[in-house]
Amino acid sequence: MATKIAETQVREPRGPRGPVRRESAPVARRGDRAAGVFSHTFLLVWAVLVTLPLAWAVVSSLKTDREIFVSPWRLPASPQWENFVRAWNEASIGRYFFNSVVVVGGGLVLTMLLSAMVAYVIARFEFPGNRLIYYLFVGGLTFPLFLALVPLFFVVRNVGLLGTYPGLIIVYTAYSMPFSVFFLVAFFRTLPTAIAEAALIDGCSHTGVFFRVMLPMARPGLISVGIFDFLGMWNQYLLPLVLMPDENRYVLAQGLAALAVNQGYRSDWSALFAGLTIAMLPVLVVYIVFQRRVQSGLRTGALR
Amino acid sequence: MAQIVLDSVDKVFPGGVTAVDNLSLGINDGEFMVFVGPSGCGKSTALRMIAGLEDISRGAITIGERVVNDLPPKDRDIAMVFQNYALYPHMTVEQNLAFGLQLRKMPKSEIKRRVGEAAKMLGLEQYLGRKPAALSGGQRQRVAMGRAIVREPQAFLMDEPLSNLDAKLRVSMRASLAQLHERLGVTTVYVTHDQIEAMTLGDRVAVLREGKLQQVDTPQNLFDSPVNLFVAGFIGSPAMNFVEAELVREDGPAVAFAGQKLPVPEESITAKEGLDSYFGRRVIVGIRPSDFEDGTLADSGWARMSVTADVTEELGSEINVIFMIDAPPVEHKDTSDLAHDVADEEEAAIPLAGNQSIWTARVNARSRVRPGERINLAVDTRNLHFFDTDSGLAIGHPEAAQVAAAATAEA
Repeated sequence: MATKIAETQVREPRGPRGPVRRESAPVARRGDRAAGVFSHTFLLVWAVLVTLPLAWAVVSSLKTDREIFVSPWRLPASPQWENFVRAWNEASIGRYFFNSVVVVGGGLVLTMLLSAMVAYVIARFEFPGNRLIYYLFVGGLTFPLFLALVPLFFVVRNVGLLGTYPGLIIVYTAYSMPFSVFFLVAFFRTLPTAIAEAALIDGCSHTGVFFRVMLPMARPGLISVGIFDFLGMWNQYLLPLVLMPDENRYVLAQGLAALAVNQGYRSDWSALFAGLTIAMLPVLVVYIVFQRRVQSGLRTGALR
Repeated sequence: MAQIVLDSVDKVFPGGVTAVDNLSLGINDGEFMVFVGPSGCGKSTALRMIAGLEDISRGAITIGERVVNDLPPKDRDIAMVFQNYALYPHMTVEQNLAFGLQLRKMPKSEIKRRVGEAAKMLGLEQYLGRKPAALSGGQRQRVAMGRAIVREPQAFLMDEPLSNLDAKLRVSMRASLAQLHERLGVTTVYVTHDQIEAMTLGDRVAVLREGKLQQVDTPQNLFDSPVNLFVAGFIGSPAMNFVEAELVREDGPAVAFAGQKLPVPEESITAKEGLDSYFGRRVIVGIRPSDFEDGTLADSGWARMSVTADVTEELGSEINVIFMIDAPPVEHKDTSDLAHDVADEEEAAIPLAGNQSIWTARVNARSRVRPGERINLAVDTRNLHFFDTDSGLAIGHPEAAQVAAAATAEA
């Protein structure tokens, strides 16, 4: 610390009082440092804003109800793991978790498969209407969910899929496809054509080329877009709220909302926090494991 | 193995660009045929049409006994090697080699045998478990070759397979390619823009320009009797020297240009049909750099011309003498196409020469020629080439007569 101050003191006079300001480099460096300090402070504040409530929720999930109210800022005297058991069993978080896994898993597989197929064809084949289909998908990106909610409810009910897993899976898939297609078209365009041609000559049909060669090559892109779709689907609340009235098939987000109401009446706050923590975990795991991919995915999506 | 026949094949791309124009060519069973030409001449497109990667706009392509126009690539029984190798990045070398065989439902034991054989032939045995990303350029190239070999196809198609390798590796791979062809005897069509590759590898070489076949012949015949200015300038390195000259008859037949006069042997006049009708008219004369020699070291029967050496390039085994000729560079569509090609490849280093042409002579390394000095050059006048100033066709060339006839018929 002391040395740093000494350094700045030594350097300070050079700038304005120095003989001639011919060295632009130190000035630029100081500008950089100012920007660095500013942006780091900003990021630090932001990080605190984001992580603090989350950390608080996790800490609270290990407290007794009394502790939560009496000493909200303190760590729990002894961790109350049974909160989690209670949330999982009694408050049905376990079942909701399972429902979420089924719906999100199904939606994810279907989204990946269908968008990869669409994107491959759009990216690689010239045919009339190619651009039109692409822009329809891109247009889907701008379509607000709220606008479709009521008609969507009636459509799903009329085909008899209201309150079922397939109903929600199909809607999730339709909702995720615009972004996935948009992203994967850009990705497939970057893959070399010669490899597909080599596979054609080696004896693949066009379907074979797609499944045996292009799809494995597209894996990085699929993972990137899959992460985004997963996060979007896992955190989805509005769609299941409308399309999943059956309480036994509630997804986690709905379950938490129900929990907040029910446990609120029972004043079982600790179980509520435990349920919240359980719901957060998969998202957290995905972010941590795929940190790099999330970053590169964001960049690809932004630039292309 | 099979012969490949292209019968008046056209390729017109959407938008109206004609990439291949009325290409007719027979490739014999077991022959190594090279398509060569400047970039954009349609050689790759022609190859891709044989492979089935491009539709054929008009005409027919036959492989073996079958017309393949409407067959998908996988049913044509051909294997292709790509410029950037096009290996499957998610498969190991072994899987890459076996992929085409697996798709053809070949029994496992047979696949193993063929992959093993090819790997041994190409020295890839220790790399079988690696992914392409972990291989060097040369190794990848060999895997790409291996993938073609294991298929035991009717024909190999190669699209500039060596152009991504560095110069030294390219030379050694060229030799192994020639060896491989010798050993397997499979009909091969090879595309390159490098005329040295074409000359060294091809049993026959087809020179293309703007989608049109210029000439197809053995490398030696292409070199010795090019059908037109374009082929003459494209084949051979350093390139042939051209000048517009007057064919005169004084003591004997001779060509006069830029204050020089070279006698033409009487037998050349008789051998080249129609050349005698050019007396008193202008012709384009072409002289290969290799048909020059230092006057002090040459056969005394050769004609002499005295020039000032501007630059000498000493290559050890020979010296390239670069000198100026007091005549404007030959202006013809054929030569300007060549100049374009050179410019495309950013090798153009032609100094401003005003109204002079730059010529190159290749002389023996024992020559004492130095830059700026006069040198007495001997010319082997039996090997002079004569071209018509309008059509650019070689005078007295049997094929040139056909081309000229076809051109008048078309018009």
